[in-house]
Amino acid sequence: MDSLTALLEGFATALQPQYLLYALFGVFIGTAVGVLPGIGPAMTVALLLPLTYSLDPTGALIVFAGIYYGGMYGGSTTSILLNTPGESASIVTALEGNRMAKAGRGAAALATAAIGSFVAGTAATLALTFLAPGIAKVAVQLGPADYFALIVVAFLTVGALLGSSVPRGLVSLGLGLLLGLVGTEVLSGQQRYTFGIPSLADGIDVVIIAVGLFALGETLYVASRLRHGPVRVIPVTRGWQSWMTRADWSRSWRPWLRGTAIGFPIGTIPAGGADVATFLSYATERRLAKGASKAEFGRGAIEGVAGPEAANNAAAAGVLVPLLTLGLPTTATAAIIISAFQSYGIRPGPMLFENQSGLVWALIASLYIGNVMLLVLNLPLVGMWVKVLRIPRPYLYAGILAFAGLGAYALHFNVFDTLTLLVVGLAGFLMRRYGYPVAPMVVGGILGPMAEEQLRKSMAISQGDLSYLVHSPFAIVAYGALAVIVATGLWLQRRKARIEAAPKLVATSAIAAIGDDRNARR
Amino acid sequence: MTDPAPASLDAAASGEAPPERAARPPIGELAFAAVCVALGVYAIIGAGFIRVPPGSASVLGPRVFPYAVGALLVAASAAVIVQVLRGRRGVPDDGEDVDPDAPTDWLTVGKLVACFLSQLVLIEFAGWPIAVTVLFAGAAWSLGAKRWWMALLVGLGLGLVTQLVFGAWLGLSLPAGALLDWIPIFHG
Repeated sequence: MDSLTALLEGFATALQPQYLLYALFGVFIGTAVGVLPGIGPAMTVALLLPLTYSLDPTGALIVFAGIYYGGMYGGSTTSILLNTPGESASIVTALEGNRMAKAGRGAAALATAAIGSFVAGTAATLALTFLAPGIAKVAVQLGPADYFALIVVAFLTVGALLGSSVPRGLVSLGLGLLLGLVGTEVLSGQQRYTFGIPSLADGIDVVIIAVGLFALGETLYVASRLRHGPVRVIPVTRGWQSWMTRADWSRSWRPWLRGTAIGFPIGTIPAGGADVATFLSYATERRLAKGASKAEFGRGAIEGVAGPEAANNAAAAGVLVPLLTLGLPTTATAAIIISAFQSYGIRPGPMLFENQSGLVWALIASLYIGNVMLLVLNLPLVGMWVKVLRIPRPYLYAGILAFAGLGAYALHFNVFDTLTLLVVGLAGFLMRRYGYPVAPMVVGGILGPMAEEQLRKSMAISQGDLSYLVHSPFAIVAYGALAVIVATGLWLQRRKARIEAAPKLVATSAIAAIGDDRNARR
Repeated sequence: MTDPAPASLDAAASGEAPPERAARPPIGELAFAAVCVALGVYAIIGAGFIRVPPGSASVLGPRVFPYAVGALLVAASAAVIVQVLRGRRGVPDDGEDVDPDAPTDWLTVGKLVACFLSQLVLIEFAGWPIAVTVLFAGAAWSLGAKRWWMALLVGLGLGLVTQLVFGAWLGLSLPAGALLDWIPIFHG
């Protein structure tokens, strides 16, 4: 009941006209940037960080909540309407949604994605509302050793589970940890790896790491292998009122609910975020499909869009649970949101619900509001998103570079940050080029300093006795869970690889022929 | 994914047939992993030079964590090198605008880096709007924009708009530059 009152108070804040405008703005910008090809949610949030430098914390976090949900949503529009696979979280949407679009059912795919996102987002936010305060209460009693255990869990799951191979993920994590070491160390005030450069004494801002890896690194990588020629967007012709038929509805609602049930728990544990959830939901829908819809899988089955899209958004809300209650980012996007908190001197964690309860509940309330706005905005505005998709690529990526430069320079108004950004961006380019995941690097850069602090605190308490790290039941459970999560995660990854390979066995040439045929007739 | 790529355009862009990627030894990949090993070694050596304040109360000094990070980097990148030598190559990222068959176009990357480097000089000497104009126009031209004057105009527009929105309206202290400093609106 407590959290219900608090939530109502949050609504009272978030429903104030200026905060409603902020939420609308965030949702709108988030979707618009999320729709842009090549820009995932992490990059969307990273590029828009400068917007918050001059807003008050509540306003900024409301904008970010909107950007976060909007960016997640925008990606599915891209993958349904563009001919090529998109960001990893919505890649299964591309699998079925893109084929639906090619078969002339793009409108239905977009609608089931939008409504599914709304259903899942709302249900998952509800779950967040009632789970988070309880978790925060438990988390208050955790000691430094427990925190260290949690951070180790986050490190290893993110490092080992993201990307194509475990060592590559760990290299990425190590590079992030190294960047996190640069600067003046908190406990003893010693400078580390600063080369005596004053700008480095403050450390490398996480914004630089995130914008460098996601905006600059991504742009350089795309530029190195840019697809030339005109942008081919699959046209959506029918009016949006008649998007989903009765059959579409009856085929969609169960996958929405199943996707939510799969996505939220996976989002809350540090197991690679939305990526794993969408694939698991896709696999489930494929197995549960019967009769005609089973035959449609691989050629545009609506269940294969509805389920994974719901899972994707439910996982996005799930990620907020460890973020808000423990201060632990489990995805790259979450890591950037943490840095937004930090720029206001707010430290997410168990105390957040006590010290900043007004802020947190306004944020959670704005998640509900943002979800409704997304539904209202996205269905009618598809025509506009299609125009956004057609922005000529040279201008698009030039614009991303300009905003990346703005993000870095606006940190301290010092071109040294611009140079650091370029170095990190080049690293990000090479990592993409050679198949390293970049998300562990961002997570390492954020969590590294926290991990060191907690480790040294616990060693100070125990006078150097290492067994203190596993003295509490919580830490033991965390390390035990780590083993289970990594094992299941690797198993899921293997499954995912199989699913990725499987649909190609269906006669894809036939589908392509249908698509080409339709295009030719237009 | 299912459509054949527009072959004629790709050929025109890269100027040659797509090379057999498997045939070349993965020099770049090994080099990157080697640099990571070197960074790890540097982290370990550098950790030894971190000053430990005498009489510090904490049991774990400022060196321990850097040692661990260095060790992790060395071990993980060495493992990657072993994997690559055994034939497990990295899979380059996918993306909507990425042509999976195109060879890496280092020239374009170089041009973009040069454009970005121009910011280091231009932001403080010529002002933010000019710096953005140069970065935007240069990058768009490097990426194959057809009309250079259009890129220049859009870049100038972007520079002025960001200056107004972020500099004047939101109050970030972006330098307007000598050319614009006399206009009161750019002071905020």
